[in-house]
Amino acid sequence: MATAAASVRPPGRLRRAVASDHVAGWMFVLPSVLLIVLFGLIPVVWGFVLSLQKAGLISPSRPFTGLSNYQHIASDPLARTAAVNAAYYTFLFVPISIVLALFLAIALNQKIRLIRFYRLAVFIPVAVSTIATGIMFLWLFDKEFGLANFLFSKVGLGPFGYFDSPQGAMPALVVMTVWGWLGFDTIVYLAALQGVPAELIEAAAVDGAGRWSQFRNVVLPLLGPATLLLVVWSTISALQLFDEVYFVTHGGPLNRTFVPVFYIYRLAFTSSYGFSKAGYAAALAYVLFLVILALTLIQFWLGNRVVHYSS
Amino acid sequence: MKRAAIVLAAVALVAAACSSGGSASSQTSAGAPVHITLWHGYGNVIAANGQTNYEAKSLNDLVNAFNASHPDVQVDAKYVGSNDNAYQKLTVALQGGDPPDVTYQYGTSLAALADAPGIIDLTDTVKGDGWNWNDFYPGEQAAATVDGHVYGVPALVDNLAIVYNKALFDAAGLSYPTADWTWSDFAAAAKALTNPATKQFGLAFPADASEDTVWHFDAMLWEGGGDILNADNTQAMFNSAAGVQALTTLQQMAVTDKSMYLDLQNTKIDDLFNSGHVGMVLTGPWALSSYPDVHYGVQIMPAYPGGSHQTISGPDMWVMFDNGDARKAATLEFMQWFTAAAQVQADSMTSGHLPTRASVVAEPGFVKAFGKKFPGEDVFAENLKNVAKARPTLQTYDQISQIMGQAIVKALLGQADPKQALDDAANQVNQVLAGG
Amino acid sequence: MSIAVTDRTAPGAVDTQTLPGETGMVERPRARWLPFSPWHLLLMPTAIVMLIPLVWMLATSLETIGQTRHFPPILWPGRFQWSNYTATLRAAPFARWFWNTTVVTTVVVLSNLLLCSLAAYAFARIRFLGKQVTYFLLLATLMVPLQVVLIPTFLIVKRMGLIDHLGALIVPNLANVFGVFMLTQFFRTLPIELEEAARIDGASRLKILFTIVLPLSLPALATLAVIQFLWTWNDFLWPLVTIINNTNAFTIQLGLQNFQGAHATDWNLLMAGNVMATLPMLILFLAAQRWFVRGIATQGLKG
Repeated sequence: MATAAASVRPPGRLRRAVASDHVAGWMFVLPSVLLIVLFGLIPVVWGFVLSLQKAGLISPSRPFTGLSNYQHIASDPLARTAAVNAAYYTFLFVPISIVLALFLAIALNQKIRLIRFYRLAVFIPVAVSTIATGIMFLWLFDKEFGLANFLFSKVGLGPFGYFDSPQGAMPALVVMTVWGWLGFDTIVYLAALQGVPAELIEAAAVDGAGRWSQFRNVVLPLLGPATLLLVVWSTISALQLFDEVYFVTHGGPLNRTFVPVFYIYRLAFTSSYGFSKAGYAAALAYVLFLVILALTLIQFWLGNRVVHYSS
Repeated sequence: MKRAAIVLAAVALVAAACSSGGSASSQTSAGAPVHITLWHGYGNVIAANGQTNYEAKSLNDLVNAFNASHPDVQVDAKYVGSNDNAYQKLTVALQGGDPPDVTYQYGTSLAALADAPGIIDLTDTVKGDGWNWNDFYPGEQAAATVDGHVYGVPALVDNLAIVYNKALFDAAGLSYPTADWTWSDFAAAAKALTNPATKQFGLAFPADASEDTVWHFDAMLWEGGGDILNADNTQAMFNSAAGVQALTTLQQMAVTDKSMYLDLQNTKIDDLFNSGHVGMVLTGPWALSSYPDVHYGVQIMPAYPGGSHQTISGPDMWVMFDNGDARKAATLEFMQWFTAAAQVQADSMTSGHLPTRASVVAEPGFVKAFGKKFPGEDVFAENLKNVAKARPTLQTYDQISQIMGQAIVKALLGQADPKQALDDAANQVNQVLAGG
Repeated sequence: MSIAVTDRTAPGAVDTQTLPGETGMVERPRARWLPFSPWHLLLMPTAIVMLIPLVWMLATSLETIGQTRHFPPILWPGRFQWSNYTATLRAAPFARWFWNTTVVTTVVVLSNLLLCSLAAYAFARIRFLGKQVTYFLLLATLMVPLQVVLIPTFLIVKRMGLIDHLGALIVPNLANVFGVFMLTQFFRTLPIELEEAARIDGASRLKILFTIVLPLSLPALATLAVIQFLWTWNDFLWPLVTIINNTNAFTIQLGLQNFQGAHATDWNLLMAGNVMATLPMLILFLAAQRWFVRGIATQGLKG
């Protein structure tokens, strides 16, 4: 492999090197690309075809109905309910989880005793399965018998309805999911904090900056990329909320936790809304996909104007 | 469990005798036996806790007895996970073009399955001798029939009754529910059993707006003389006076008396009852095994003055698929044997399932023996005769149920007047019915 | 660009023990009004809140069936009924499910590490025709809800004859877009000088990847491994759909769901199963904690 050894490259050789780069590049990416195309891209296209059909999972006939599935979404009250709930959930979940994670990460970045224990404790909920989490929170948040209302009653508050009240169900779901995912966000922030070079802070300290000022002017800007990543990631996750709703609230009470992916699942895989709804479900999934895509692009666009990358 | 084994052995012998005598047709396919697959959700015979799962054991014993006595047909019974996922698993298998020969399905899925490729239309088959189709309860027959075609054979039947905690009734100085209770007796008892200080409720009610919510209401609606839909299934009828009466009864307990614990996720009722926090539940025979810590009694549903004591049944079905003539014939042969009275009785005595056939319940001594082995089940068995009506088998039924469920929960949460809630729901249901 | 971190050394050189963010912030002398750091006042309650469910799960898994039915729930059993675990394991398939999940997870994690590294290296370092378009298309699939692709993916797997086999859980997950994305971003942050030097010395791309890039990328690889492990280990919906009637090919999560269906009231056994299903995740995290945190620290958070 004694190629490209010289600092002076003849033109022909350069072209060959570039050509070989095309081949090498594709050789490297081919296994992944093939797999992702087969199990990611083709199903996406297939799903789109499905969204143009009146299709059930059982009936063999799948007549094309053009864009009627998409047109139906606009006049579907359940789709509107799901959209409103998803917006509400995302609006609560994303800021709360990110702000809490930032605070926790700063705390976990201290050089104090038990810090490894604290870090582990914060991460543990991420490892616990949704089934176990769901069962636990149902009892914890039980209106009559739950530990939460018991404790609140000791300080003269409540009782709150949580999953048992139309108003409380979504906030309770937010609390449960924040609990379950906080560890992940925190670790991302913790990692970003540890990536802040000590020299910068020392330099700021030498310049006479107070601790808040050090944090505000030196650390916080450096957390920009991590924050952008978390905002994008959390928004995508929030809009795709499913497992917790499936296991715990079933969309209720009175559809107050009824979210898009839950609706899509029920349309396609259950008979809750009639049959031959797989096509309509695919159309809804596509709309959701486009919304997420648009939001992600906007977030990156806005983020890149605010966030300073360091290198 | 020796008794069950003896019953079973007898059944197997009888079956062997029958088949060797009469089934010359099945001998025609000489050589290798025809293999058919049966999917069920009863679990493994030895449950995780090391104890015997009698539902699964009963099924496996019967299948083994059949296989032993029918060398030309081999039934492979497979546990494929919870029945809650049975419909989804079947749709997936149908997508792949490889359905099982027999599968256990909820009765409410049947209307959807009527369109499924390869489903066996049993309409003519079950008219044949040996099936004794009319021995199945009318409610079961109706649930097995979609648009006049029979697509299922009753696999499991149940119904709703009052299960009450005797200790809580005693402590409150109340007499136990009687067979001639009215709904006001019921509501009064529920109120008397309620004590906010000790977190004790008269009744726990499934309020997740699912079919579980709706069928409780259905039974009360029928008792008041109402119907879900009109006779030709074109118009909603549940917002009649009978419907408003039923929902008002429930709302009074939930909102006014606060005697009803509303389980909005429908996951806690059995645990609450078993731990003595609830005086009564309206539930079915399957739930009794969840109450080991409670000395409970069972009584049929209350009635409205002048009305009848009715209940509702949600029969589940064996649904069959055509995987070629040989397998189809073997499947039908097996299913006829499997759902015949002798096997139904054996299954009931082993698993505690209510008999799907009226003749089994009517057999002298059965109810007594059944109730002795499975306390309380006898009331449910006899209550089967109070199943007068069935829910409509429509493809749109689940949609209708969803709409009704939301209306009922709305009223139970005190967010709507019963009449208004039902009228709104009826409008939506009419749209569904009109839209197809 | 106001702050240029030009002197930043190779990723991974940030020592977790140095905790740079903190060293600078405690420059000023702190009033000693507590015998311990005030951070404990925040962290201890948080840790307790975070740990309650695990404690509850553990406690329930050691209770008798009677205790689990007690109401309100008992938070700690007096006597530990360890036999719950043997009872759970004795349900024969459970050990099998455990093994299945281990096999699937191991293969998927290793395959992702290899295939995603290869692809990410090319996306980060090699100019080739259609690179941008391909990369964008891959990224786009990251945003598709699983429900969109569930049915078509099932049909593809079915056509491959993998239904009811562990292969159904493995093959579609051999290479994950997230892994490609993450490693690409990470590789871009690596100093290119070393690689250029190796190129001039005549090393092949493959050799550079394995001898220079990957050793520098251990934190990122560990992070990817942990995340991929977590996803695969806890995945539920896909196994639910593809493992239809072969309980021998169940994963733990599927088994747990089955458990819940079949033994809805045997909470002690359900929780024993949950503890056993959670344990590998915790052990892995303990083992990978250092690498994991650093990996995220140094991964490509820079667009």
